[in-house]
Formats: sequence, structure tokens, C-alpha cells
Amino acid sequence: MFACHGGQKILGFPSSERGLATSPLGLTAGWIELTCGLLVAVGLLTRLAAFIASGEMAVAYFLTSFSGTTLNHAPTVLERLLPILNKGELPVVFCFVFLLILFHGPGRWSIDGLICGRSATKSTT
Amino acid sequence: MNFLNRFTDPVYCLMRLIVGLVFACHGGQKLLGFPGGGHGGAHGLMLLGAIIELVGGFLIAFGLATRLAAFISSGEMAVAYFMVHAAGKALAQAGSPIDAFFPIINKGELAVVLCWVFFFMVFYGPGRWSIDALIGKRKAAAPAATAT
Repeated sequence: MFACHGGQKILGFPSSERGLATSPLGLTAGWIELTCGLLVAVGLLTRLAAFIASGEMAVAYFLTSFSGTTLNHAPTVLERLLPILNKGELPVVFCFVFLLILFHGPGRWSIDGLICGRSATKSTT
Repeated sequence: MNFLNRFTDPVYCLMRLIVGLVFACHGGQKLLGFPGGGHGGAHGLMLLGAIIELVGGFLIAFGLATRLAAFISSGEMAVAYFMVHAAGKALAQAGSPIDAFFPIINKGELAVVLCWVFFFMVFYGPGRWSIDALIGKRKAAAPAATAT
């Protein structure tokens, strides 16, 4: 799902009314979302990808939602502080979920887990 | 990078706190009118959803009866996703099959993410930094104290 946001900005699929990203910041964000989303999903280089994705979501929250650019008017203090009012709930949740993945690791059912399992059995033989 | 595993518990606690409070805000919006900007008072099924969101959100945030609260909240989010978002009710015009399929288009992303995060919590448990863990420690310490 994170990759879908990158797909919207880079590939135009799933389609969005905002079109492809053109600014350098938007393009960077799009590539991070697309590649890190897929990496986290299949569990390859999970911690690195989750770290980058978590950081990007924090930037996205403070640059857009917290500063009130998603609203049609200047934000009040309450609207800055509460994600439910500034439409920043998804970046907040993503940011902290990726932070947990960064610390928790890829888990046993992942490509990282498969690679580690193979190298561990190799070193014992 | 396995050294990061040492910090899993505090980070998990932080994630539970933030995600739980975000969830509780939705219940507060429907039940208490705070934070503002909701759809007004809730009736019937929405009222049930609001109670689950408010109570379940706080229980998850502080780690009390975590697995039970996460199980109920996860189920509620699945219902919310399929009844509202996959049915296209959050869209201004009638949804095409593609709109119904992609959460990014039917505005159901938060519901999907919360549903799976809570589902993970059901299996992962409350973690070491939670009220559940404090209660469990006291219970484990009490019989040991009487035995000595």
C-alpha cells in the first residue's frame, strides 16, 4: 500500500487526480515510497528500507500535514497538534509502524530470513 | 543490525501508544464531539464502532488487555473497510471495480493499516512495556514471595 503512493507519483498507477510528481522533493518521495514499500513488503533489506520509509513519513507529516498545507485555511494550534484534524493520520501511523519494523527486524518469514537461514546453515557445515 | 533488537520493547510501546491514541481520537470524534470535525452524533452500528474505537484505542495505547482489545479493534476495522470503503460510500461518485479494489482510491487506507497493525498486536502481545506486563510481573512475584 505504501508502494501504491509511490506508484501514483512515479508511474501514474493507481491513477490519481494530482497526476505525476514533478518537483524534485515529490520525485524523491515517490521513489522512496515505491522501492521501500516493495522491499518492506517482501522483506528484503527490511531494516534499511523501513528506516528510510519511516524518516520519509516523518518529513511528509511535518512538511505537509503539520504545516497545514492539506487544509484550505491556516491551521489552528489544535489542528497542528491532532493528526485527525490535519489529515496526517496515515503518515503518523506509517512512520511509527516502520519504526517498529526497523527495530523488530524482518522476522522469520521474509527474504532476509531465508538468506540468513541459508548462510547460517552454510557456516555450520 | 541485530543490535537494534534491544530497543524493540520501548519502540513497540511508543508505536502502541501513538496508534492507539490515533484510533481513540476517531471514537472521541463520534462519541464526545472532540476533536471536532466529525460527521455529528453516531447511531446504531456507528455508535458501537465509536465505543470500540474509544475504549479499544485507550486499552491498546496503555497496554491493558491488549490482545483482546486489539482483536476486537482489528475486527471492527475490517468491517469498517468492507462496509464503508470497499462499498465505495466514502467516494463522491459511484465507485468502479478498480476504485473498490484499491484502498488508495477508496480512502480506506487508514482502516486497512490499522486492521493489520491490530491483527499483528493480537499475536505479538502487549510487550514488556505495558500495564499487562506489570500485572503479570506482580502475579508472578506474589506466589514466589509466599513460598519463601
